Amino acid sequence: MAQYHLQLAHLYGDLMNTYGDIGNITALKYYAKQMDTEIDAKVISMGDDFIANDFDLALFGGGQDYEQMVISKDIQGKRAELVKFIENDKPLIAICGGYQLLGHYYIGADGEKIPGIGALDHYTLSQDHHRFIGDIVIENPELGKLHGFENHNGRTFIGKSERPLGTVLSGHGNNGEDKTEGAIYKSTYCSYFHGPILTRNGEIAKKMLLTALHNKYPNDDFSQQESLEIKPTF
Amino acid sequence: MTVKSSFATAVGKSSYWFLHTFFHGGSSLPGKLALRIDPDVLTAFAKKYDLVIVTGTNGKTLTTALSVRVARQKFNHVLTNPTGSNMKQGIVTTFLTAPRLNKKGLAILEVDEANVAMVCSYIKPRAFILTNIFRDQMDRYGEIYTTYKKILKGIRMVPQATIIANGDEQLFNSVDLPNPVIYYGFDNGYQDDLRAPANTDGLLCPKCQHILHYHLRTYSNLGNYFCPHCGFHRPKLTHAVTAVNNQTPNSSDFAIDGHPAHIAIGGTYNIYNALAAYSLGRFLGVQPAQISRAFNADERVFGRQEEFQLGDKTVTLILVKNPVGLNQVLDMITTDKRPFSFVFLLNANYADGIDTSWIWDGNFEKLKDYQIPQFMTGGERYRDISTRLMMAGIDNVWHEKDLTKVINKIKQLPTKQVYVLATYTAVLQLRKELAEKGVVKGGMD
Repeated sequence: MAQYHLQLAHLYGDLMNTYGDIGNITALKYYAKQMDTEIDAKVISMGDDFIANDFDLALFGGGQDYEQMVISKDIQGKRAELVKFIENDKPLIAICGGYQLLGHYYIGADGEKIPGIGALDHYTLSQDHHRFIGDIVIENPELGKLHGFENHNGRTFIGKSERPLGTVLSGHGNNGEDKTEGAIYKSTYCSYFHGPILTRNGEIAKKMLLTALHNKYPNDDFSQQESLEIKPTF
Repeated sequence: MTVKSSFATAVGKSSYWFLHTFFHGGSSLPGKLALRIDPDVLTAFAKKYDLVIVTGTNGKTLTTALSVRVARQKFNHVLTNPTGSNMKQGIVTTFLTAPRLNKKGLAILEVDEANVAMVCSYIKPRAFILTNIFRDQMDRYGEIYTTYKKILKGIRMVPQATIIANGDEQLFNSVDLPNPVIYYGFDNGYQDDLRAPANTDGLLCPKCQHILHYHLRTYSNLGNYFCPHCGFHRPKLTHAVTAVNNQTPNSSDFAIDGHPAHIAIGGTYNIYNALAAYSLGRFLGVQPAQISRAFNADERVFGRQEEFQLGDKTVTLILVKNPVGLNQVLDMITTDKRPFSFVFLLNANYADGIDTSWIWDGNFEKLKDYQIPQFMTGGERYRDISTRLMMAGIDNVWHEKDLTKVINKIKQLPTKQVYVLATYTAVLQLRKELAEKGVVKGGMD
């Protein structure tokens, strides 16, 4: 039995898992095990209540246009608790459609404006008959080089309160213009990276896990967990 | 036939002969040459054959092969396209090389989802077989809904054609069509309320957008679905698998409409393919006993897999291309009671899908329950698949990026049975090596 336990909310996990996003949970569990920590994942989907205090971590994956449009309505009812979760500095990783839905809005395939929850200060436009597809490398000042695969039509522009996840070294990033990729706000990490992101960039997984452990067990010493060496997988 | 298309036929035939004789493998180039000369060449040939189109994401090849066997129980002239030549040129090639008949023949053709409308614009099929729609290589086709729309575009041109559709696939029940419909599915169990795992696609009720539940789930999102919110449910089945008795990697024993059936290939997905072929057979007036005989024919059917001998190893090479297919293959090989080794060769060229993320939807964790003595990874993206296995908790893995060395390593594996799962270009590369060594014949089906 592991000494520590973390609860993970897999937001709309049965609808938002288009490019193996569930692998992010596999990676979190893999590194958590090395930190003497066990993760319980629970899908929170259409019509379910999301209660911020019940969870220590969250994953919000990407989906197909149709599913995302349906979720855009349902998620408004979870807005207050999601904002609370994010503002309380709980680690959340949001990919692609999940990233877009945490912002103000995105433009759908037919040009319609689809509302997000505005928990984060970004918005997403579309591009005509074109997607950003391919391998991508970015640099984060603290986490180093991050590797992923991008495949998105959306062009996202981040707000003043957000930092990018990294600066684009090769690939397109958020919008193909400003050399930014993804967004960080408190302990929420957003990205267009598939791969999945945490399987190729264990440093992000480690940081999320440490934050979650410190949040949940504020009086414990996690120096051993902090010393965990992440071996490159990509 | 016009003079122009006669000429087109001659060009197509000679190049097929040339390629067939010298290269053993150009199954689409002759069609390409003929189409360049006369695009109406399909129309000219269509007058000679009644057409059945087999389409969907997975299972096209095997459903077509089994359907042809079944149809031959009753019809003398059944034409089909060579395995995998399911694009327009491949289809033209099939007609170009068809025997000239005195009376109308039957053609059962595998057609790529994106080419259904194009084929229908030339030839009005008598029936469609729809297998399933899963997430494939998204960079190529887009979403499952888009894929279905492409198929619908073709179906809408032929409102009189009968649709023989997988009733366990909710998408095939999401749009009302004027066509007669025959649904097939699984009816070998019933529970009150089942849910699909989180990483399953296509779980939204098409009527009210709530999550679908199940009374019976076979794999992925297939099964006896129902919506607890609005009451939408699986349509009434015309033909059903009523029992699944025994499954091994090389055999399946089951019953359709109460009639015992046997096919010499494993995997629940192949029972679906047999069921589709059965449904077409019944539609064409073939009797259950004849169908059963066709399934039993002493001839292995392979679909996208083949078996060969390498030293003392019996190697089964299986093409994997998307997560649903991958999980079905993992389910199938774990029905093997003999000890076996597991090899995964991963490339990420265009034909493989350039994004390797899909391997994370593969349930490799289940392999830990089977005491597999040795794993091996290879191919250009061997690190991705190695990471996948590592994070599944599998640690007895050999890594061999270079496919030319993989063959020798296979000979050193500790078991007689070896399963090699490989993406498209990895299969091609491996087969090229094997062909040079005389282990398999050249070219790829």
